Amino acid sequence: MRHTRMISLAAMVASSGLVLTACGSAGGGPASGGDSKLSDDKVVLGLLNDQSGVYKDLSGPNSKVAIEMAIADYKAKYGDDAVAKNIEIVMADHQNKPDIANTKAQEMYDRDKADIILDVPTSSAALAVATQAKAKKKLHINVGAATTALTGKSCNKYTFHWAYDTYMLANGTGTVLVGEGGKNWSIVYPDYAFGQDMTKSFTAAVEKGGGTVQQSIATPFPNDNFATFITKAESSKPDVIGIMAAGGDLVNFVKQYNQAGLQGKTTLAVGLMFITDIHTLGVEQFAGTTFTDAWYWNMDAESKAWADKFKEKTNTRPSFAHAGNYSAALQYLEAIQEAGTDGSDDVVAKLEGKKVNDVFLRNGEIRAGDHRVLHDAYLVKVKDKANVKEEWDYEEIIKTIPAAEAFNPTVSADCKM
Amino acid sequence: MSDALLKVEDLSAFYGEAQALRNVSLDVAAGEVVTLVGRNGAGKTTLLRSIMGLHKGTRGSVTLDGVSLDGKSADKRARLGLGWVPDDRGIYATLSVAENLSLPPVVDKAAAWSLDKIYEQFPVLHERRDFPGTKLSGGEQQMLAMARPLRAGSRLLLLDEPSEGLAPVIVNQIGQIIRDIKAQGVAVLLVEQNVKFASTVADRHNLLAQGEVVESLDNAEFQSRTAELLEHLGM
Amino acid sequence: MTEFLQYTLQGLAAGGFYALAALGLAVIFGVLGVVNFSHGACYMLGAMVAALLLQHFDLGFWPALVIVPVIMFFFGVLVERLLVQWLLRLDPLYNFLLTFGLTLLTVDVMKRQFGVSSLKYQVPAGLEGRFTIGSVDLSVYQLFAAAFAVVICLAVWMILTKTRVGMIVRAATEDAERSRALGINVARWVTPVFGFGIALAGLAGVLAAPYRAINADMGSNFIIILFAIVVIGGLGSILGAVVAGFLVGLVEAYGQGYYGQLSQVLIFVLMAAVVLIRPAGLFGREEVA
Repeated sequence: MRHTRMISLAAMVASSGLVLTACGSAGGGPASGGDSKLSDDKVVLGLLNDQSGVYKDLSGPNSKVAIEMAIADYKAKYGDDAVAKNIEIVMADHQNKPDIANTKAQEMYDRDKADIILDVPTSSAALAVATQAKAKKKLHINVGAATTALTGKSCNKYTFHWAYDTYMLANGTGTVLVGEGGKNWSIVYPDYAFGQDMTKSFTAAVEKGGGTVQQSIATPFPNDNFATFITKAESSKPDVIGIMAAGGDLVNFVKQYNQAGLQGKTTLAVGLMFITDIHTLGVEQFAGTTFTDAWYWNMDAESKAWADKFKEKTNTRPSFAHAGNYSAALQYLEAIQEAGTDGSDDVVAKLEGKKVNDVFLRNGEIRAGDHRVLHDAYLVKVKDKANVKEEWDYEEIIKTIPAAEAFNPTVSADCKM
Repeated sequence: MSDALLKVEDLSAFYGEAQALRNVSLDVAAGEVVTLVGRNGAGKTTLLRSIMGLHKGTRGSVTLDGVSLDGKSADKRARLGLGWVPDDRGIYATLSVAENLSLPPVVDKAAAWSLDKIYEQFPVLHERRDFPGTKLSGGEQQMLAMARPLRAGSRLLLLDEPSEGLAPVIVNQIGQIIRDIKAQGVAVLLVEQNVKFASTVADRHNLLAQGEVVESLDNAEFQSRTAELLEHLGM
Repeated sequence: MTEFLQYTLQGLAAGGFYALAALGLAVIFGVLGVVNFSHGACYMLGAMVAALLLQHFDLGFWPALVIVPVIMFFFGVLVERLLVQWLLRLDPLYNFLLTFGLTLLTVDVMKRQFGVSSLKYQVPAGLEGRFTIGSVDLSVYQLFAAAFAVVICLAVWMILTKTRVGMIVRAATEDAERSRALGINVARWVTPVFGFGIALAGLAGVLAAPYRAINADMGSNFIIILFAIVVIGGLGSILGAVVAGFLVGLVEAYGQGYYGQLSQVLIFVLMAAVVLIRPAGLFGREEVA
């Protein structure tokens, strides 16, 4: 009898998890008020991201520091002439769950009077916030999420996609690596929306460059043991093995890949990887791995100088997401300055089509048609441990991909503003 | 009887609100075979379990050779000399016959039967010593269950319906074993429904009805009044 | 054919590791009747402690293989004395819920303390590279992990079948009350057995450290597979856990080789089939009501 009880218990426990995620709330309240140039006499920047989970290090609480740096730079630049004198930051943890992101976004826009929500990693969460932005007619500048749906069928007047997307990752790593001689690919991907999208994008990118994807191998998600998947991926003797997993699955894959003696033998291209992954797992595990980054702290003197300031405050080096949030907050405040108000429509009008250069955006342009921000991207290779000179000195830029080529050159037909 | 080995005084037992035993008092002297006779539900097994310390919710006192067992755990009571032979025989399926025999810790080196002595007394157990315990026949399992506390050196066996479900010829064998045990100085508190069998092995009898001892009598009297007593008990 | 042999080899290697990880779960269920949901968390703690020993004390894989199980043993003793023992007399549901809560607590504390990203760990020197037999090969470490796990399983098997301690544990597993009535102080064995089971989980964690992501969540998916293994093998059956461990390893490898994303689903299909045909599992005993 005990075993049947246990099974039903396990089922009960599993389903209780589902129930817990089913609560949301419908916040209400006035959207704006007053005759001042600023709603509520202040500008409220909402930072909504992962404060406790997998993207905590990538962005998390340190993005608040980056936004504070943007506010300080804005105030220093305009002084008494600043339109936004009273600037506040509100921050919340969305735990990478779309339902929580949805509730928190409503709270931020309605209760906290946020004029903009920044960051929002995890695609499903980002799409939920974009929907709220559209409904509340308040801004959302997305930095942390990868989905091209933000500038495709879910695009809207108030949502901007600032740092990167799956097209950029696939194009950068796929097309460019083929150009470097990596013609034949095996792709291993977790079988859920993210992995499937990445595989589709990568396959298109590899074929565009003239290469061939010999096999695409789907794996369960999450998954701990990749031994036989690796054997299979290797069996077609590819030049490049592409892995589209993220988080713990990526770590499992890379460890087992190295253990299979493949490190350095076959090029390993990672679909989505962040510098924080390299840092936590150790550069030796990822040495030789290739991926596309939106920004790297040590790529030039300007970035390095900003990274030094960031390190003074946080004792760590910034990821692209930290720099991206800095840039997004700064350009938002600049747009308020130009518009003379924080009214959403006026700010959007100033942002659309704007050409931008800052520490994060190089040759940047905010495309009016879909609010995709175009900028230079970077194909990087993880350094060998011997070449690492300091902590976080992990990336070697093998190619700068110009802004015009880094992102999808055409606005998606699905995007109706 | 002042030299009682086991002394039960005013023992009551409860299942929640329901009272299963009412102020039961009895004693068993060393080397004596004493029965508890009564119909189903009279409280016989509850009494054995209470003496063994397996039944929670009892009042009254139990002493073994002058040592109070009250509040002591079952394993402590076993180590003081009580030998447990439950009505389902309690043989371990995952242990071999030999392992079943050697499982209980020896409680009295002088009194403990050696394995050789056990095998001499129960040749069939020797034959089957490497079999899983539950591969034995019912009678063999009963022998094993009785041999187990003897090997540990128990001074008193709590023997619950040893004749139940066994063929008459096997029952006779079990009876002989009980008499042999008695001859070795080991006492037995025997729960039985088979009155005829009980009268062939016991010295004294306690008649139990609705949780009370309604009559205590020696074997001669028991034999002469059997019919009357059975009717009285409704058996 | 080569493919099939290759997958078989990988399946057996993974299976050895699964067997070891499930063994402690089976032992604890057998003796205490506790479905230890926290087994996955203890596996995680084993790997985390190994990583922390490396990070802070420069103690590598080999010392960890000894130190971590000892630490985890005492952790298990502590958990049993402080928590589990009070619920042993109640419905097993209570201890299931207790260990479930303990899992949430442990995972959250570890997240708070060490974040969610993976900790660093390397394959020990001498166990890198691949091992080739004819046309098939296997990473040396995987082979080592499997062989080591099998040795531990055999040792546990020997202890259980050939020693008095093992006999007592088997008897208590079968019927604790009866064992008490026969003079065995079952309570005295409960605590060390729980500690021992937890130590085995920790040992599996150390073995996993060089080839799996080490983070607070690493046990969450794993415990589900472990449950599948013990259900397939028969709850509380030591032999069942080992055999089912290998079976699940094989099913997973063939699944990965031939059916891709179904590799985990197949494990649960196997579990469902076993439960339908033999509700007590391959080696479980039907309990007498």
